[in-house]
Amino acid sequence: MSIRALWVVSHEKGESGKVRFSRRFPTVEFRAKSLAGTQYVAVPEDRVIPQLLLTELGLVDPDKPYVEVRDDCARQHRSLAVELRLDGPGGRTLWPVLTVTQGVLILACLPLVEAPPEPRPPLPSLASVSQGLALLLGLQDFLCGPGGKPEPDVLASRLAALPAVLLQVCPLGRPLDTPPPAGSVPAAVAPSPGGAQKQPAWKAGVHRGRAVVSVALTEKVRSMQYGKSSQQDIWDVYGMVMCKCEVEGVLPNVIVTLTLPHNGSPLQDILVHPCVTSLDASLLTACSVDENDGSAFSGPYKFPFSPPLELFRLCSYTSQVPVPPILGSYKLKAEENHLKVNVVLKLHESVKNSFEYCNAHIPFFNQNLMGNVEVKVSSGQLEVSKEKNLLVWVLGQKFPKSREATLEGTVHFSGTVAGPTDPLCSGLTAYVKLYFRVPDLTLSGCCVDQHSVQVYSSAKPRIVTTRELVSSEYYIWNSTGDAPVSSGLMVL
Amino acid sequence: MEHPTILCPSASVGEETALELLSVFSHTPQKSIVLKCNVMLAITNVIICTSCLNTHTKTAEDWLDLCGLSQQPIRATACDCLREMETCSPGLLSQKLEALYLLKQQETTVLHQSYCLLYTLGLKNAIRILTNQKDVTDLEFKSILGGNEGFAWKSNQLELTSLPINMLVQVPRLTQGLDCKELKSIMSLLLEESYLLMPISQSALLRELVEVVAMVPGLSRTLFKSQLLRLFGTADVSLMHATLFMKDTFTDSLFTTVDENFLLKRLVGMAQHPLLRITEKLFYMECILHFPENRPISSSGEESLPVLVTPRRAAFLHPTVFNDSATMLCRLNLLCLVHLEANEGEADKGIGFLFDHIMALLKIVDNDGSREVVVTSLRALFIFLMHFSGMEELSEKLIDKLCDMYSRHSRLAPNLIDPVWSVKLLRGLQKRIMEMPPLQLTIHNLSWHLKVLKRVAKEGQITQRNTIYLLLNVLINSNLCERGNWQVGNAVLAVYRNLLDHPSIDQVFIELADLLQYISIQYDDTDIKDHARIYYTLLTNLSWEKLTGVLAKRLDGGRAKERSHSAIMAESEEIAKSVEATGEVRNWLEVYQGQFQTPGFGSEVTLRYNLTHAKETDPLFDKVFTICLHFELKDSNYAKVTDIHVPCVFRDRKSPEVKVKLKPFQPYPTSLCVSAMFTMQDGRSWHSRLPDVSVSFPEIFLPLPLPPNSSRECREQVFERIWEATASGNSDKSAISLFCFKPEDKSLADLIKTHFQGYLITDQQSERSWKVLLFLPPKCHILLKITQAEDAAQVSIATDNRELLPFPVSCRVSSALLKEKSTKALNN
Repeated sequence: MSIRALWVVSHEKGESGKVRFSRRFPTVEFRAKSLAGTQYVAVPEDRVIPQLLLTELGLVDPDKPYVEVRDDCARQHRSLAVELRLDGPGGRTLWPVLTVTQGVLILACLPLVEAPPEPRPPLPSLASVSQGLALLLGLQDFLCGPGGKPEPDVLASRLAALPAVLLQVCPLGRPLDTPPPAGSVPAAVAPSPGGAQKQPAWKAGVHRGRAVVSVALTEKVRSMQYGKSSQQDIWDVYGMVMCKCEVEGVLPNVIVTLTLPHNGSPLQDILVHPCVTSLDASLLTACSVDENDGSAFSGPYKFPFSPPLELFRLCSYTSQVPVPPILGSYKLKAEENHLKVNVVLKLHESVKNSFEYCNAHIPFFNQNLMGNVEVKVSSGQLEVSKEKNLLVWVLGQKFPKSREATLEGTVHFSGTVAGPTDPLCSGLTAYVKLYFRVPDLTLSGCCVDQHSVQVYSSAKPRIVTTRELVSSEYYIWNSTGDAPVSSGLMVL
Repeated sequence: MEHPTILCPSASVGEETALELLSVFSHTPQKSIVLKCNVMLAITNVIICTSCLNTHTKTAEDWLDLCGLSQQPIRATACDCLREMETCSPGLLSQKLEALYLLKQQETTVLHQSYCLLYTLGLKNAIRILTNQKDVTDLEFKSILGGNEGFAWKSNQLELTSLPINMLVQVPRLTQGLDCKELKSIMSLLLEESYLLMPISQSALLRELVEVVAMVPGLSRTLFKSQLLRLFGTADVSLMHATLFMKDTFTDSLFTTVDENFLLKRLVGMAQHPLLRITEKLFYMECILHFPENRPISSSGEESLPVLVTPRRAAFLHPTVFNDSATMLCRLNLLCLVHLEANEGEADKGIGFLFDHIMALLKIVDNDGSREVVVTSLRALFIFLMHFSGMEELSEKLIDKLCDMYSRHSRLAPNLIDPVWSVKLLRGLQKRIMEMPPLQLTIHNLSWHLKVLKRVAKEGQITQRNTIYLLLNVLINSNLCERGNWQVGNAVLAVYRNLLDHPSIDQVFIELADLLQYISIQYDDTDIKDHARIYYTLLTNLSWEKLTGVLAKRLDGGRAKERSHSAIMAESEEIAKSVEATGEVRNWLEVYQGQFQTPGFGSEVTLRYNLTHAKETDPLFDKVFTICLHFELKDSNYAKVTDIHVPCVFRDRKSPEVKVKLKPFQPYPTSLCVSAMFTMQDGRSWHSRLPDVSVSFPEIFLPLPLPPNSSRECREQVFERIWEATASGNSDKSAISLFCFKPEDKSLADLIKTHFQGYLITDQQSERSWKVLLFLPPKCHILLKITQAEDAAQVSIATDNRELLPFPVSCRVSSALLKEKSTKALNN
């Protein structure tokens, strides 16, 4: 359960990769040597790593249409682990190298294979794989932070802190913990009071001061709407509960309860944070993979836990709601040198008509830039993007009383400059993408009642609960063109 | 820290170093905690890696003492160091378990995790050692838990690193009927407290505990029952993985059929959970394909689909065009397996859906998808065909589609001649190329078509008549021959090279011969003409068996790795090799190429001349002073030459040496106009024109510019790398050529010695082969591989600047060889 080496490689466009950080673990290497015997392959020097990694990830020679080692079909590239070919095809290989890519950063580690090297053991049979993966994902959070794109100097300072972090979480190649996420402010803690109660390893001390428990429920809704009888519209909802508990005590008990409205559809695929102490079997039974038979448990969902000091995701779930919040229709017709556009959006009656924002983006690909735009909207305002390839329909905070808004008109492409291209959206294959946020609403109806949060601690805490609905990948495809199918649901 | 064996190559040095570091450690002030921790890690690394753990007992004792009393981080580090020592020397702590248990129990700070892990590992290894022993008594069994002796340095050692139990054919087991009460309560406590550990450490602990329970028959698997639900619901990847390990180890003795079904459903759900990250989902998909079923049908370690994963369950895992490429390919592979296993009606529907997905991908490619999209789509297609190649109708449709796409995007040629595709596709491509209207055959896409035809010509099952007609048609009805583009010519010849090898050559013999003859006369490039002539000679003089023999020999390389005899050798796909490289090789080439970063490196040729009086001149000029030599270039291939100043030239003294430094932009022969200004004894100044200085081609040859102390190995590697890069045909400018000749009076070895002594890379006289590298500033190379065959010498020439070829052709690399050149046909 160890890793042999760890790398952080950066690759700016047009440049070869650069090792920004690396670490070998000699005692693990010592074990690797004895485990693999004659088939042992040493970890090569850092300077060859970027090229080897970039080749496997298909990132070398971006200007060459075909490079055999990068593009051959026989290598399927469908695993989380790649092999580095140290001597070119047919030569020695270093396997399994796990990689996580974010922006210009590639994080990689080489887990120890505690198995005879031949035949190559399946990844799931190796304990080090999930440990290496967890370490890499933690490292990703540590280096990139919540935004995912750190400024160069911020990244540099985080890289500089890495040796000290590894001393804590992986001193000898055996991951003990994951690096703390960047930007997580260490809570003001007092040292553990001592006593018989053991301090959890994931809690550096105890909270002192005012007791506050905040529980934030965010639901995201995705949708693909086609407006055709031959293609079934799909949508789904997933939610997460974020908690921050400032409560006294070494191991205080907190219970958060999620409730659904009467005949709400059950929460599925519930995943919980490791700090949840126990779970009722009925909570886990509903699963998106199976058909709902209506008899499934539908709450209340109780999550007893002992909170860590920092903000954490208590649980997440998916849900199948009967209707999408906004039903859209998009009709596009090509006429000579212009397109006729018609978009209708209907807000479902069950959804609160009170948005923080609601925008519809209508991009045009594989066309010249827009010229004259004669488009009218029944509600909100229309903007043409600076780049002249996108219409932005700002619906604002409210749909009209009828809960229906339309956009209609023609768009001319008189420009001579070619706009952006997209291989997916050719011809009349086009979409409208919606962006919206509704505070104090969930589609599943799921909510955390302020009074249902129980805290077993000496001081009575203040309890704050919030909820919101946010769109994510919400597409309405042009019904007069072919739309790419997006789910296997159609098979059923 | 990271490479201890570099400084400490032996156990004795390791031991000394460890002692030194230990003294550093004890002298480091208490507050330098980080330094102290790092020193401890370094000592541990040195001791383990130099294999002196067994003789150097003191460190482990020291660490154990530190575990008892010192500052938190140092205690934590001491625990980690001991844990690593125990891992590398299993059983080390097997007689210290009582002490470790006490330490673990007393610790209530966050550090108890470290003690807990250390104790559990020690416990597991101690039990593992006991399993090697027959008839363990209760007393012996008890004594391991209560052991507080010394370190078990030598006794009872397990192998250096023991495999986890899931890798063993048979799990080692303790004797039945032992009293496990005490162990059971220890285990329960460990499990109960596991919740307090970090998830990663928790998963490590669980794995150790699973191993213990598996080895001790007296412990019930149901110990874990209390933890199962918590684990089933976890969002943490390492904990879920540990749960699967538990499932693998205990199967139906812990997991009921309902549990199994449930766990699998969770896995499928997690493999597509919107809140998990891509790599986690990829991992869960692998876990599905290697799911430890209670009743596995096969256990080959290969990917196989659990019985419970039905098309309905996997529906959400259907690939979509919106997936990233790894996810899409992984899902596709999984779904192919699902539909292969499904019952008929369901399967047809499912396969149809996958087929539609593939078609959607190809449509994107057709709409000028990016390179990544092309590669991913073709990989998807390959996965699909791998599983459903039996379904003729589908594969035919797909092949049709690919051929259609090729007609529109000939740049896909390299992707479509990937060896994974079937002959059917190649046949289809050949047909498409034949059907193309002549207007569509531009120079640009012709080179793609030639690549395809070259690959097609390798297929014995495909008749080649059409290819030959097409080429004949193109050559005769276009201006290709007049244009004499070397590269196109070479690409055409590459097709021929494969055609010569084709089993049905007899049927097209005449056409082929016509064509070769046509090229050898009409093509406006000497090199191409020469090669066409060689092929023609081969074709008309040799039986097919002999011909393939000759060609095969060339391909396989034989002794001299004769990989790139121009068109004789199919232009090999060695691009790969020049991109990839072992560290070592890349090193030398990089070192070599790195030198050119230095401005002016290797850019000059120095020619030395003596400045003397012409034979008969006026005695008035016997003594001339302050001479300034001025050079004018006759072409633009060289940088301006600076004036040279010479103090004086006396007729009766030694003539001074003049060094003319030439800086070529293009290393071609040239000549310079020279004029001189000088002063006479009487003070009068004169201007005079001197004879032109002509610079011949061999005069600009330089030896490979590497540091003088570079090894032969290094030179050879650089030579090979440049050769490969040149042979790859990767660059527009590179070229390969071959010629043969019969050395007449002198032996080949002598000739080479006379003319190439300074440029020799290797001189393997015993094997009768030589490698010569001529460097031409600014950065051109001519490489020669010379081999002595039975009665002729073969010279393979490679250059990265094919503009240079006419020079070696005309002066045959060196005037000497030119003289020797008498025959110019292959020695059959």
